[in-house]
Amino acid sequence: MNKNIINISNKRVAFYGAIIAVSTVFFYSLMVMIYVVIRSSLTIYEILLSEVRTLTLLQSGISVAYSIAIFSMLMAIISSIIGIITANILKKTIRYFNPNFKNRKSILISGIIAVLAISVVYISLRMMLKDWLTLDYIETFLFWFLLPSLLFFIACIIGGKQLNMAFLNNLRTLVKVVKIGKRQG
Amino acid sequence: MKTMQQFIKYILIIYTIITFVYWVFIRPKNMNWGASETEINMKFGFKEYISPNRVISTRAIDIKASKENVWTFVAQTGQNRGGFNSYYWLENLFGAKMINNDVPNPKWQNPQVGDSVYYGHKQPFTQVTSVKKNEYYSLGGWFFYLQPLDSNHTRLIVRYPSMEIKQSKFTTIYYYGLFEPLHFIMESGMMMGIKRRAERQQNL
Repeated sequence: MNKNIINISNKRVAFYGAIIAVSTVFFYSLMVMIYVVIRSSLTIYEILLSEVRTLTLLQSGISVAYSIAIFSMLMAIISSIIGIITANILKKTIRYFNPNFKNRKSILISGIIAVLAISVVYISLRMMLKDWLTLDYIETFLFWFLLPSLLFFIACIIGGKQLNMAFLNNLRTLVKVVKIGKRQG
Repeated sequence: MKTMQQFIKYILIIYTIITFVYWVFIRPKNMNWGASETEINMKFGFKEYISPNRVISTRAIDIKASKENVWTFVAQTGQNRGGFNSYYWLENLFGAKMINNDVPNPKWQNPQVGDSVYYGHKQPFTQVTSVKKNEYYSLGGWFFYLQPLDSNHTRLIVRYPSMEIKQSKFTTIYYYGLFEPLHFIMESGMMMGIKRRAERQQNL
């Protein structure tokens, strides 16, 4: 079997890894933005009188959106690097442990890689932030670790599945080429 | 994958629009939220905090309560006291462990110069730099002034001089990109929180 034909270039894998990572960050930022805008708006609506309320709602809403947008841009840069690295690790492990490119097995491999990566990130963050990343600070833990980890896990599964499909498509093309070659020759 | 690429494209367009609207229309209003021209030009001292390197904001709010009732909530400011009266759920995302007290606590009603005021649990703290009961209170250059309009109405005016923002490019980006809009949200939230609690106290 010609492994070079089945192979997908590192550049392509890196590009799609970055795309999935950035989409995930933007999706999370959008969810946080909606949550913060709605919850702060409810408070403003309760307290202020109607003559000053509308402008304050607008000021507060846009300020929330702006700060989250800026922060998510910075996070997108960092996460794209994580996406590139994870995608390339996934590519290598899927090719090594799943030579027949079975879909279920690729999902399992992606899940294991995600859990391993999350564990490494947790240990490093726990060393840096100490108690802040424990259930003692439940909101902080949920917001900065648990929910992003869950999204990372889902992104890994999606990415791994897509990668496996790309491998499988290449394999099918190769089989077709071989068949045509046999008929002609 | 195409859907994801399109999603990124739309988000980038939306975020660019938000940034434009914020800088052109919202930020100028945020700087002096609720404050009149006279209040913006009021002098509160603290010359050491006034420099071209700092951004000064003045914000004000009408409270239907006596200055004594407003004071009870200003006096107990701090994570280690009665909270910041702002969006505690937002502060707690950053490990603050904030609890806002809805009623005045007698043990926090007489803050003294030099008292420590924490921003969050195990987080940096500042000190009370000046205080006069029922009149003013300050944490560094962050100044809270209570102006009685009559016996049942008070104007709460808050002046905030920013950090030195031209120290480095990082500080400038951090200040304009994150700190300034977040500070507006939290400070206006705090002023509204004080208003709500003081008015409730007044009605009791």
